[in-house]
Amino acid sequence: MGKNLPGYFGEFGGRYSPEILTEALEELESTYQKLKKSKKFKKELEYYLRNYVGRPSPLTYAERLTKQWGGARIWLKREDLNHTGAHKINNAIGQALIARFMGKKRIIAETGAGQHGLATATVGAMFGMETVVYMGAVDVQRQNLNAKKIEMLGAKILPVTAGEATLKEATSEAMRDWALNVSTTHYIVGSAIGPHPFPTIVRDFQSVIGVEAKSQFKKQNKKLPSAIVACVGGGSNSIGMFHTFLKDKQVAIYGAEAGGLGPKPGEHSATLTYGKTGFLHGTKTLIIQDESGQIVPAHSVSAGLDYPGVGPEHAYLSQTGRVDYRMVTDEQALDCFLEVTRIEGIIPALETAHAFHVARDVARDLGKKKDLIICLSGRGDKDVTEVLRLLGERSK
Amino acid sequence: MSKIKSLFDSGVFKSAFIPYFTLGDPNYNDSIEFGKTILDNGADILELGIPFSDPVADGPVIQRAAARSLKNTFSFDEIFRVTKAIHDHKPETPLVYLTYFNPIYHCGITKFLDRAKDSGIIGLVIPDLPFDTAESETLFRELKVRDMDLIHLVTPASEKKRIQALTKTSSGFIYYVTSFGVTGERREFSVDLKERIRFLKETIQLPICAGFGISTPDQANQISQYADGIIIGSAIQRIIEENGSDRSRAISALADYISKIRTSIS
Ligand SMILES: Cc1ncc(COP(=O)(O)O)c(C=O)c1O
Repeated sequence: MGKNLPGYFGEFGGRYSPEILTEALEELESTYQKLKKSKKFKKELEYYLRNYVGRPSPLTYAERLTKQWGGARIWLKREDLNHTGAHKINNAIGQALIARFMGKKRIIAETGAGQHGLATATVGAMFGMETVVYMGAVDVQRQNLNAKKIEMLGAKILPVTAGEATLKEATSEAMRDWALNVSTTHYIVGSAIGPHPFPTIVRDFQSVIGVEAKSQFKKQNKKLPSAIVACVGGGSNSIGMFHTFLKDKQVAIYGAEAGGLGPKPGEHSATLTYGKTGFLHGTKTLIIQDESGQIVPAHSVSAGLDYPGVGPEHAYLSQTGRVDYRMVTDEQALDCFLEVTRIEGIIPALETAHAFHVARDVARDLGKKKDLIICLSGRGDKDVTEVLRLLGERSK
Repeated sequence: MSKIKSLFDSGVFKSAFIPYFTLGDPNYNDSIEFGKTILDNGADILELGIPFSDPVADGPVIQRAAARSLKNTFSFDEIFRVTKAIHDHKPETPLVYLTYFNPIYHCGITKFLDRAKDSGIIGLVIPDLPFDTAESETLFRELKVRDMDLIHLVTPASEKKRIQALTKTSSGFIYYVTSFGVTGERREFSVDLKERIRFLKETIQLPICAGFGISTPDQANQISQYADGIIIGSAIQRIIEENGSDRSRAISALADYISKIRTSIS
């Protein structure tokens, strides 16, 4: 196997998972290759995206934010309006259809913010599949509303208490479950991470975001936007937004990652800024690690960005310089969360609030008469309790 | 020829006993004593675990061991120091490392291998480095130059074609994973275990050692009838977990367990 084989993005990507999973990954890959070409599969996917998810999601011109920030015109790609409130459902539906095709009756998932767990529990209910969601015990606390919804939908939540008890540990635990139950179970990986073919499959299912945004924008403005921005945890909403624009060199692309409390190891999740090449959860990518190659716990105010790795395609795009990845601190994200809520009447997810902060700087740099699209990856209902708690701490 | 393979070929053991434990649990100096005890009581090959923060192929017992070990400051200097001390105690017993790929990659492959070899290591098991990766090929080449082995895992899910393909880049022995899932003690094994091992013996010209889930003398006895070796990890690690706070108690519990298994398979 070499760098030019499928599954690699430059030197990143590939398949570095326990041998017990290899056959399942190969089955998944060949099934996906077949389904990708099938008209029936495409139709089915489109049917559910339109009639269940509510696609296409609108492209909203944010009049008040544009005025407030005093720079480029701001447009919002509204993944928050999807059923279940985030982009995660695009991928969950796609993978559930693959699982059904492969005859797997049980689906499992890892979740940080709970949005992917919620999306998986939702498709599990709709397709009548047994569903198990691994969630860090800390995240079960800070994203309790989502945890409760997941259970209400009939899925089982298994809280993971190992390590930092967040997304990294939930991902490891889901991989272990898959190793044990690989013949009956499909693991719906929730971001553009993991061993090949997951980063490619997740990116393909999320690409609908950028494809729609581009054609909606073109229709209204007869041109391309000057810039696009999205937040990067594992990197699924962002790669979904970016992918179709990568070849449009006149479009500047920005990713926002979690700068957390500051630059010290353990205080952030800024993988693309501070990460070094390594191997985690089945993929070769940039990882926050110490000088001995032990993974350093990540931190972010938003559970969905709280992960020390990143999808391999982002590692590659960062290396080539096609995408400009910037850090946003917890404080900056929280401020943007409040500002956007008050000014635009949209409560964004804390994850998305990171993208808004980068967008504000970019909009100002671009200046008037330019256009910028932000991927509004999800809505912030899930974050309200946590935000109130943080504001309480801030006022102390 | 590989030192490990020639040992098997010479017929010194009917079926080899290959214990595993994690270095640094609860601390590095106790690891030296645990290693010596295990060697003295009948290990044919000893697997030493280099702890990794995210051991996805391991069950709860070994995960907890890694976490306890990493509470100490992790350093390769310590790992190699402890390894050498264990090796010097009984230089004729082969030592292999079991670890995940990230720490090795980070250390630098050639630097890691040189230092590992100097410490007495003659083989590596890396559960998250499939044989069909560029890194595995590099590693295999570098190991060969140093007369060291790359021990690959084969699982109940591995297909024939894959098993045939991996023979080109594996040496020492094959680590046959007896059951689906991760490491950890189990009550039962897949019904076709015996047939799978027989098939592997015919396909791969290497000793086939079975691991993942074995813990009792009875299981060891039974599986040693047809496998070239028995690998036991979690059961040993559990003894360290339960007794590790008291070094001498841990040593006597280990000695007792290791010798019981030893007798059951010879
Ligand atoms: C609303 C929202 N945005 C973004 C993310 C980050 O994930 P990704 O980087 O895969 O898009 C999450 C993850 O939970 C999320 O819930």
